[in-house]
Amino acid sequence: MTFGARVAAAIAGIRFRGIVPLVLMATLILAVGAFTAFRQDAFLTSYNLRNLLLLTMPLALVSLGQTCALLVGGFDVSVAALMTLCVVVASYTMTPTTSTLELIPGALLLVGIGLAVGLFNALLIRVFRLPSIIATLGTLSILQGIAIWLRSYPTGSISSDTISALDTSWSFVPLAFIGVVVLALLGDLWLYRSRSGMALRAVGLDETSSRRIGIRTTHVVVLAFVACSVLASIAGFYLAAEVQIGSPIIGNQALESIAAGVLGGASLAGGRGSFFGALLAALFLTLIDNSLALFHQPTEYTEMTIGVLILVALIVYQGPELLARLRTGAFVGRLRARQGEAQQGEAPAG
Amino acid sequence: MSIPGPAPVLSLRSVSKAFGVVQALRDVSFDCHAGEIHALVGENGSGKSTLLGIASGFVPPDEGTVEIGDELRRRLAPAEARKLGLGIAYQTYSHIQDLSVAENLYLAVPRSLQPAYGQMEEWAAEKLAEFKLDVPPAAPVGSLSLAQRQFLEVVKSLLAEPKVLLLDEPTTAFGPEDVERLHALVLQQSRAGVGIVYVSHRLPEVLGIAHRLTVLRDGVSQGTFEAAGMSEERLIALMIGRPLQLAFPERHAAEGDREVLLSVSGLQGDRFGPIDLDVAKGEILGIAGAEGNGQVEFLRALAGAERATGSAACDGRELDTGSPLGPLRAGVVLLSGDRTREALFPVLSVRVNTTIQVLRRMGRFGFLNRRRERGTVDELVRRLSIRLASVEQPVQSLSGGNQQKVSLTRPFLRGNVNVILAEEPTQGVDVAARFDIYDALRAKAKEGVAIVVKSSDPLELAGLCDRVVVISRGTIVDEIPGEELGERRIVEAIVGSRAAAARRPA
Repeated sequence: MTFGARVAAAIAGIRFRGIVPLVLMATLILAVGAFTAFRQDAFLTSYNLRNLLLLTMPLALVSLGQTCALLVGGFDVSVAALMTLCVVVASYTMTPTTSTLELIPGALLLVGIGLAVGLFNALLIRVFRLPSIIATLGTLSILQGIAIWLRSYPTGSISSDTISALDTSWSFVPLAFIGVVVLALLGDLWLYRSRSGMALRAVGLDETSSRRIGIRTTHVVVLAFVACSVLASIAGFYLAAEVQIGSPIIGNQALESIAAGVLGGASLAGGRGSFFGALLAALFLTLIDNSLALFHQPTEYTEMTIGVLILVALIVYQGPELLARLRTGAFVGRLRARQGEAQQGEAPAG
Repeated sequence: MSIPGPAPVLSLRSVSKAFGVVQALRDVSFDCHAGEIHALVGENGSGKSTLLGIASGFVPPDEGTVEIGDELRRRLAPAEARKLGLGIAYQTYSHIQDLSVAENLYLAVPRSLQPAYGQMEEWAAEKLAEFKLDVPPAAPVGSLSLAQRQFLEVVKSLLAEPKVLLLDEPTTAFGPEDVERLHALVLQQSRAGVGIVYVSHRLPEVLGIAHRLTVLRDGVSQGTFEAAGMSEERLIALMIGRPLQLAFPERHAAEGDREVLLSVSGLQGDRFGPIDLDVAKGEILGIAGAEGNGQVEFLRALAGAERATGSAACDGRELDTGSPLGPLRAGVVLLSGDRTREALFPVLSVRVNTTIQVLRRMGRFGFLNRRRERGTVDELVRRLSIRLASVEQPVQSLSGGNQQKVSLTRPFLRGNVNVILAEEPTQGVDVAARFDIYDALRAKAKEGVAIVVKSSDPLELAGLCDRVVVISRGTIVDEIPGEELGERRIVEAIVGSRAAAARRPA
């Protein structure tokens, strides 16, 4: 292969890897949506669609945050516990009897908790040099403990004014969902069309080189983990709106948000990913949940379907590399076989 | 543009640094004037990297001060060093491989010199043209050849218009032509008043370009000398503390017709071939050529590390090159040039790295005999004069040349070695060690092993090999028999083939 062809192939490979997750997720959403709409009248009602989008909100927000962590080559598994803690705290600070004026500090407190947890995670990862998965696992346990300490069983309603404010919709589309779409698009624009976005990807791709060329790597990683936790705490608001009560039961949003990030195109090795992709993937995962329920399928099928789809998607994302590997493998294998026939009777080959 | 004068642009005063029990630098002073090319030489582990680390702010000195321009610092952060006008090109590069050339250039310059984001590619194209580096700005750095990456590293360090430029082994991936190109650039920068600190193992290169030289040995400065009037012998004596007989190991007399051990016919891969080649028992065959003409891929295909078609036989038996296991079983050993990624386990100890392929012989009933293992390793450490504090030290903590020697221990340990394929066996290795390696290879050849050496250093090929083939665009274009071997003849063959290739319509 000439130098030019090699360069062209490399560029094509990068473009492919960037665009395929978006296309695949969008296609799957439309396909599953169309199929369900065709078979179930209840699906294409504005009630169900609004509900679907609202149910997507917590996972969508936390997936955007998780994508930040994935981009710098880390994980944050503490997000689920953080979201739960936010729900529990909201059941104290944002109760039906709380006055509108007091709601503001109550809400700020949740974001403040997110900020503090993010800084704590970043401290463990950068100063004490713990691997992010272990560091955030520790944080997860601590936050979970605090949540159970505050509410040992689900109780304490959450202000319905707040819930209806959060759920304000235009036709069947919640305003918040529009907001999160805009946020994701702006995020991608920043990531792929700005210096600081490029610096973030650079740190994820190769930290040593990034430090050598003068990027403040600690700064970048701290910001990524703080952004992750703050977005998770905002996701906590929407989780609160969903459960409407101070429940200390932890969901599995940590693994789901990593799945959404990866389905949306993020690489676990860091440096690659898309906020919009993560949002689409979050919508897709919620959609599967929603439509299988309409078909009255038990949840175990939902789980298995999601697992299979994740594996298939990740294999497809490897696209060009995988094809190249299989093709040369098959080609060389055929050639060998032919040579083997020609040389039968001679010294045994391999 | 300033006139080269006595003003030092970089000056280190009495710096010392210890890493644990190892004293890496002891009371070293060093300065580099504007417009001067000041070479820093020393064996591996003599403290050159530590000195560069201190100058660039990555390594805080235990004692002493750093002065860049007129700013004196006891502690210096890398970002501050850059701001004060220090540029550095790393031996192991500072590229982000998945980003494009343009993006890498963009990230490497301070904000004040960055163009608007949208103009990045045009700006990069301009800069590349200015430095005559012919690569597409949109290409990911990972798709460039090693030589192109190395040149890009130097270009990157120059973009911020530094007052002092540190070049750490800037020519390891270069053939003679590229070296000349780089030196032209270095001279041009020096004439423009940039102070240049030039670190290299290639002494003729250093003597050819430097104004002054500072020699380090075991972390202690052996003095600073004018380059004019310095000879290679004297420099080596200063580096290793004793005069060294610079002699390549003697070739043994060619016997009438030597038995062919490795026979390659019609081997063809992605970037080379078809190649036909015979290597005899006890012969050292050199492979020369401009970088990136398929030499590496050819060697790797023979070792089963790269896909290829065609056939190769070792000792009359067909080699299964489908995976590295077939050649290994037949006694064909590859010494990869990419030692940290392919040849060694960087975080494991010297002991483990040495014996990992022959553990079966190191024990009984599946348990290791530590005494036997230790004995074997100690013996090899002595034979190859590997410099280390302990054999339990992780390999990554050794200097580059010593890492290379550790990877060389493997063919010495394996029982049934028939062919050694050595890719740049002395890349980044200091002089004394280099001759240890030549001796070791020759000793293996005397035992009847066939050796193929791919090297970008014509002097090395001329001195070490019995025969050299020149590869251009993936095929053998010239063969130089032993009696004609010489540095010049090899360089001419490389350049000649390049010229011929250029005349050929693409």
